[in-house]
Amino acid sequence: MEVRLERRYPIPVDADRAWAVLRDVPAVAACLPGAALTEQIDPAHYKGTVTLKVGPTTALFNGDLEVVGLDAAARRIQLKGRGADKAGSAAAMALTAVIEPAEGPDACVLHGDATVTVSGKFAQFGGRMLGQVSDMVLAQFVDHFRAAAAVLPSAGAAAPPPAPALNALALLWALVKGWLAGLFGRRA
Amino acid sequence: MNAPIDRAAALAGIGQPRLRKEDARFVQGKGRYVDDIKLPGMVHMDIVRSPLAHARIKRIDKSAALAVPGVIAVLTAEDLKPLKLHWMPTLAGDVQAVLADGKVHFQMQEVAVVIAEDRYSAADGVEAVAVEYEELPVLVDALKALEPDAPVLREDLAGKTEGAHGRRLHPNHIFTWEAGDQAAADAAFEAAPVRVEEALFYPRVHPCPLETCGCVAAFDPVRGELTTYMTSQAPHVVRTVVSMLSGLPESKVRIVSPDIGGGFGNKVGVYPGYVCAIVASIVLGRPVKWIEDRIENLSSTAFARDYHMKGELAATADGRITGLRVHVVADHGAFDAMASPSKYPAGLFHVCSGAYDIPAAYARVDGVYTNKAPGGVAYRCSFRVTEAVYLIERLIDVLAQKLNIDKAEIRMRNFIRKEQFPYRSAFGLEYDSGDYAAALRKVLDAVVYPALRAEQAAKRADPASPSLMGIGLTTFTEVVGAGPTTSCDILGVGMFDSCEIRVHPTGSAIARMGTISQGQGHQTTYAQIVATELGIPSEEVQVEEGDTSTAPYGLGTYGSRSTPVGGAAVAMAARKIHAKAKKIAAHLLEVSEADLEWELDRFKVRGDPGRSKTMKDIAWAAYHEPPPGLEPGLEAVHYYDPPNFTFPFGAYLCVVDITKATGEVQVRRFYALDDCGTRINPMIIEGQIHGGLTEGFAVAMGQKLDFDAQGNILGNTLLDYFLPTAVETPRWETDYTVTPSPHHPLGAKGVAESPHVGSIPCFSSAVADAFAHLGVTHLEMPHTAYRVWQTCRELKLAA
Repeated sequence: MEVRLERRYPIPVDADRAWAVLRDVPAVAACLPGAALTEQIDPAHYKGTVTLKVGPTTALFNGDLEVVGLDAAARRIQLKGRGADKAGSAAAMALTAVIEPAEGPDACVLHGDATVTVSGKFAQFGGRMLGQVSDMVLAQFVDHFRAAAAVLPSAGAAAPPPAPALNALALLWALVKGWLAGLFGRRA
Repeated sequence: MNAPIDRAAALAGIGQPRLRKEDARFVQGKGRYVDDIKLPGMVHMDIVRSPLAHARIKRIDKSAALAVPGVIAVLTAEDLKPLKLHWMPTLAGDVQAVLADGKVHFQMQEVAVVIAEDRYSAADGVEAVAVEYEELPVLVDALKALEPDAPVLREDLAGKTEGAHGRRLHPNHIFTWEAGDQAAADAAFEAAPVRVEEALFYPRVHPCPLETCGCVAAFDPVRGELTTYMTSQAPHVVRTVVSMLSGLPESKVRIVSPDIGGGFGNKVGVYPGYVCAIVASIVLGRPVKWIEDRIENLSSTAFARDYHMKGELAATADGRITGLRVHVVADHGAFDAMASPSKYPAGLFHVCSGAYDIPAAYARVDGVYTNKAPGGVAYRCSFRVTEAVYLIERLIDVLAQKLNIDKAEIRMRNFIRKEQFPYRSAFGLEYDSGDYAAALRKVLDAVVYPALRAEQAAKRADPASPSLMGIGLTTFTEVVGAGPTTSCDILGVGMFDSCEIRVHPTGSAIARMGTISQGQGHQTTYAQIVATELGIPSEEVQVEEGDTSTAPYGLGTYGSRSTPVGGAAVAMAARKIHAKAKKIAAHLLEVSEADLEWELDRFKVRGDPGRSKTMKDIAWAAYHEPPPGLEPGLEAVHYYDPPNFTFPFGAYLCVVDITKATGEVQVRRFYALDDCGTRINPMIIEGQIHGGLTEGFAVAMGQKLDFDAQGNILGNTLLDYFLPTAVETPRWETDYTVTPSPHHPLGAKGVAESPHVGSIPCFSSAVADAFAHLGVTHLEMPHTAYRVWQTCRELKLAA
């Protein structure tokens, strides 16, 4: 199962400030719900986990994250991740994220383009919801990202509080809300 | 009660709509299925399966699993290697990994098994087994399997250019199988003024029986005997295979098929789970139970179809077919575990010239490996007959459309005529009997066909109509009842079948069979054959099947072979008893055998109607005062080797209404006429036809095992895999004609698969027909609302 996600999110800070968060891999990881970096092997290679709670079970993806490209001039980062959990699911992601300038002094756009490949139980059972679930996860990520960029004192590093495990019940509610909104035409 | 009419009613023999004897226990929940079996000391097995479709196994760590409370053992391929059981032979002459040996070839493949004190601990143990994989490129598309740079699946076959069925052309190639005369077919196409061709994909589907597969293996270390209760459609064949694999003498292996909740081909083969449960029982000396769940059943046990077909017809300008050419790429999955007579790697696909008199024909099938579950079984059909019938029935529609000839008319012009039987087809099959034109005429009259076409024309002429109307037609013949031992065998054992009948001193009887019912009602129908042949009321005839320790050797039940082969064995065994009974009657009545005549349940002295002996009298005498020189007792065994296949046929018509805006297909009418030769129990026939039509509806309208590019199986739960209930199922109208088989002792041909085989192309025919005036010749199955709506949208019928 392969899903391509291309999204643009407005961020209410100037482009340099947003780039300061984006280029900082541990800070970005901290924005992702349920994710944690466990080890830095070298400046471009990390090990980490993503926890996903579905009802009574918790799936723990163990994996590697690689910074494939980092272009400060273009404010662009390219990441590659790959992980598997013991219960029989595997996932891989290739992501390019760019901070693009926008109109106004305190505004920019986070432009992400990701290809996510999943195998095993996740693809079998969750496949049909993958696109919607990803959108919900990304929405939470962007909220955290905005918060991290807002509290950044300067172009330094400051991680937001650790994100809670990705909770499927909350996700489901978000999905239902999203679906209802779509149904009544209130969705963008 | 003495009038023949009353006595015939009391017998409830052939032709009587006798209530099914099995239902009393089934409707009360008193059936006994494998999962009902609980033995003292029994432990449970669960399977670790691959999440990936193609990967190398780098490491398997059992330690955490062994630490789970209740877990007794964890077995991997390494543990089976010393026993040489990590691979096993398949029915198709290939080998299959019992547990993945260094590499996984499809998602959900068996990697390890966990044995535990209870089912829950076994499941916990499965989660705790850590397997490290290295992903490999995945091959999903069968049409790309033979490309030079395609990923190679079967490293175990490296360098093997010869397979079980001749030359292999590529590492992913299994076999090439050809039938007919290529030169003659090519010549017919050269000369033909009209040609049509169509690419038809018959998707991968799964029989999805209500009861999944499973077994309880119980090895008795003291006696050295292995008893295995198993959901098997062929228990004797399994016994032979188990003996060959385990080295145990066949006399110490007992396979018991208890009540089975549907098979439809899914329960013919031997699965890794069975082998592992048996090994575990032998190693542990305790009974081991393994029962699949639904996801495992749909993902890993035998699928059906997955045929990429290209068919061509050559014809004259007035629609007479002069030639047929077919090429098929057959997706067999990762191991060739197709269930079919050994000599037929594409089954009986060469019945694809159908009910038509086609002078020249050629078919070629190439089997290929892909990263999908192994199989290729006959899902409620004889081997690959569903695919064959789909091909020819769709093609003749395409030809009719091209020539603007009515679909009924073009069939009438091409039928094999009644007087041509026995008819040898261009592919070499000898059709036993048929009257196709009469069957079609009866259907057309019953539905008032011209009125339906007129209604359709009116609807097509009205652009404001919110719906489309389609009329589907199929006129098909099956080839069932495998089969003559000269051409048909499973692992070298000829495909005869058997019956043993014992008449007890007080006149009741037991019949033991080599076949095994999975819902077909054998206990009811076989007893009716005995009743008619021997004059013993069917209520007093017990029928037993499925226990290899008591039943005579038989090849089992699939491919509609029970009535054509097993039913014939019943008749022949009964006739041996009948002949002996006649000798005893002559002795008792003190006349010569020539002076006796048979009437329902007794021998009467010709010309002296007052003097007679009933079968009850004779049975008592057989044990009490047998004639001098005749051995006591009244029993017989018969192993029936059929001289030919049987060819049941039918004519089906379907009317659908399609809502343009939503693509929903409503089956307004489905009229099914079947001819299965002599009808043994009309009520059971009716039930079997309803079941077959419903499963046909399921395949045509919704069933498909889909895979994504990574080889993930999509649709292995009943959320995604369509299993119609009473809510979705249309109303069926049934009808029949009777054209007995000339070579079967009772004239019977077999029936339960015809409605599946015949209905699927009929639904497709109807859906395509709804769009025919817009130039559509064919639409791929399944005809779900979404897919049909997409067609509507492409044709600008829907927004």
